Amino acid sequence: MSDSTIVTTPKAPVRKRLGLDKANTQKWIFLIIAIVPPFGGYLLFTLFPNILSVYYALLNWDGFTDATFVGLSNFATAFQDKYVWRALTHNLIFMITVPFFVIIISLLLAYLITNKTYKENKFLKVLFFFPNVLSTVVVALLWAFIYDGSYGLLNGILKFIGIDTGNFYWLGNESTALVSIIPAWVWGGVGLYVIIFANAMLGIPKSLYEAAILEGAGHMTRLFKITMPLVTPIIRVSALFLVVGTMKGFEIILIMTNGGPYGSTDVIGLYMFNLAFGIEYRNYGYASAVGMILFVILVTAKLLIDKFVPNKGYEY
Amino acid sequence: MKEKRTLMDIVWRVVLYAWSLTIIFPLIWVIYESLKSNPEFFKDIWALPSELRWQNYSKAWNQYGFGQSLLNTLYYVGGSLVLGIFFTTINAYALTRMQFKGRKLIWGLIMLSLFLPGINALVPQYVIMRELSLTNSLTGLILLSSLGESVFYLMLLGGFMSSLPMELEESATMDGATLFQKFWRVIVPLSTPGIVTVGVFKFLGFYNNFLAPFIYLSDPKKYPIAVQMYSANKQMEFTADWVTLFAGVTIAMVPSIIIYILFQKLLMEGATMGAVKG
Repeated sequence: MSDSTIVTTPKAPVRKRLGLDKANTQKWIFLIIAIVPPFGGYLLFTLFPNILSVYYALLNWDGFTDATFVGLSNFATAFQDKYVWRALTHNLIFMITVPFFVIIISLLLAYLITNKTYKENKFLKVLFFFPNVLSTVVVALLWAFIYDGSYGLLNGILKFIGIDTGNFYWLGNESTALVSIIPAWVWGGVGLYVIIFANAMLGIPKSLYEAAILEGAGHMTRLFKITMPLVTPIIRVSALFLVVGTMKGFEIILIMTNGGPYGSTDVIGLYMFNLAFGIEYRNYGYASAVGMILFVILVTAKLLIDKFVPNKGYEY
Repeated sequence: MKEKRTLMDIVWRVVLYAWSLTIIFPLIWVIYESLKSNPEFFKDIWALPSELRWQNYSKAWNQYGFGQSLLNTLYYVGGSLVLGIFFTTINAYALTRMQFKGRKLIWGLIMLSLFLPGINALVPQYVIMRELSLTNSLTGLILLSSLGESVFYLMLLGGFMSSLPMELEESATMDGATLFQKFWRVIVPLSTPGIVTVGVFKFLGFYNNFLAPFIYLSDPKKYPIAVQMYSANKQMEFTADWVTLFAGVTIAMVPSIIIYILFQKLLMEGATMGAVKG
């Protein structure tokens, strides 16, 4: 195929113009193949639904029978819906605790594997990342096994060290279910940030530390005067990702408790999901309104973090 | 420089090992219990099994229809990978290395996706898929998963491609190569490391994808492995057949472990790239 095109390389001026036209046609065919399917899919499956969701939020619609236009009444209902507020409270708890623990634990582990010279560090780095390649289903099921009342690992360990919980179901109890989900979520997220922070720390020039050691700076001084300030921009970006991700995430909760028991672990994304796709009720209009509220919260959170968390970069 | 070990080093090592244990211990525990019988497991979760019951694995395989869901997974993941990698690569090339009208507008619209959390679009997306008769179909899922734009992949591949010297393409044009040949014979081979990274990330994303198959597939016969494990866990609540479920979860982890062993370095590098640029 390439031979034939080489042979037809245009020589005469007339044929050259023809060749250009041909090249132009080729360019357009190429562009159509390269742009239309992915960009079209993006317009159809991502952008268009986002616009449509604004319209759906104004409807009373179960998804099958005719929709009626109800204006902003879905939003009025949502603001008075105690389940919305309950879910948002849970969101707030997750949104603060999960990113906090993920960042603290990842920073500590990253610092240890980059600044200490233990020979097992290389292996540990690989091990720490492993939970991140597991599916949410596997992570959620592993932790559901851990928390099981009768045969769970946690109660087994507690019994082993002499604390008898009497078959306490961690995920089946309103007072402990929410708190029990946090470790599972943190566990699934830490690995990625260990790698991110570790790479950021490895990027700090060794000369800075050497100079500090010469001037007599101890471990702690080096940690808080060199390492931490230099990885702060990365921590900030990570915090943004984590906060937004935790705010909209609900898969792990869907699998572990589906919001139960008695809604004690329900979050806004899951509430929306169950309004739209749950077994009991199907209310696409109301679900979209709740989705829009979440949308506004997420965009606001993003902008607020961008504005108020100091973005101080250091040059070295 | 060899540092001297102090008391704190013991503390730090304990911290590192403690976190390692939280990862290794539950995994080993699941595998350990998957080789017991149910009565043994119920009696004492720590006791050694009287014999290693590998038959739990064949039971899990049959009971949870792993054969069928593996086929479904292969079809869904394979189809999405082939289409997805092809379109992502050619799309990244067109958007980063070609000049054409509307390029800026397209980039702008794609960048908009960084601001869209996506969760509010779940319902309309479902309605659109339903209107196109793409629900309850693995092919529909393939189209949904592989047609689209991702800033992460565009950055990753685009970064790779824009580092290739333009002279390469120019000399290929001089030699009379068509655009397609240039893409296929010059750009693709030189971008292979980037394409492989995209492929590995896509593989994990598709294999681990739970929400989309869960929403769009109503027929359990079409479930891929991730959704199948979810419904297996739901069944277990009635059958109390723990050991078989443990065996099933272990089987479901095998592909992730294999991919991780093969590509861990690449995954870690790619993950950092996504976080810094995305």
